[in-house]
Amino acid sequence: MSAADNKKLIEDLFVAIAAGNRTLFMETLADDVVMRVTGHYSWSRTFKGKEALIRGLYNYLATLVADGRRTIPFNIVAGGDHVVVEGVGEMQTRAGVPYNNDYCLIYRLKDGKIVEIREYCDSVLTEKILGPYRGPAAA
Amino acid sequence: MSAAANKKLVQQVYEDAANRRGTTFYDNLADDGCWTVTGEYSWSRQFKGREAIMNGLMGHFRSLFHERPRTVAFNFIADGDFVAVEARGDNVTKSGQRYDNHYCMVFRIENGRIKEVKEYSDSALIERVLGPFPADRIAQNAN
Repeated sequence: MSAADNKKLIEDLFVAIAAGNRTLFMETLADDVVMRVTGHYSWSRTFKGKEALIRGLYNYLATLVADGRRTIPFNIVAGGDHVVVEGVGEMQTRAGVPYNNDYCLIYRLKDGKIVEIREYCDSVLTEKILGPYRGPAAA
Repeated sequence: MSAAANKKLVQQVYEDAANRRGTTFYDNLADDGCWTVTGEYSWSRQFKGREAIMNGLMGHFRSLFHERPRTVAFNFIADGDFVAVEARGDNVTKSGQRYDNHYCMVFRIENGRIKEVKEYSDSALIERVLGPFPADRIAQNAN
């Protein structure tokens, strides 16, 4: 797929997520997707495979934040196999504390599937609002 | 300029950064360029204009290292006026601590000039190793 196709795909995913539908995003994750939470903080780790990513990150996050979490992109940059999304999270914890992180997400696509993700965000805010990572992938 | 030309410019900026130089960035930064440290931590703010970026942000950052800091880019993504860069720092502070941050930087280039830079990085590492951004630098850069 072209960079323009990849960009359109990622735009569509975020439109769906903004409307509360995460299905398209989940369907677009390759089985062997690798996601890295960058940096050197407690959440920084690599989730290898769709199952590990869902269990270790998305399902864990769902225990901490209220349903309807979403990230709203304000800039999408696509070149080659990569799509970059700058966006602001619109989330709140289960206790009702706002959690609106600034995200830069890098997606690598192959044949219409997401095979790699790298997340950059304000880790001080992550640890302050969500606490240190205590999910199932914690070593 | 084309996306390819913008990408080449930013690649030159990072060839400099890997070799502890800053000439390309300095020479191509717009006078009214704006560098945004994203997030809500002590360094998070908009550094507006050449003076605020070079002396306010960079001046303080560089004062924490004996050698001019080094950053090594590994991915460039260009589209229209934007070039995104993923990079890693490779540095030791004056107090001897490793400071190897992971960066994603988004540049906006207008007519060959760097108009906007957005920085995303591991802020917990910044606060832990570099400390809070100093108040006297902030006063010079009220936004």
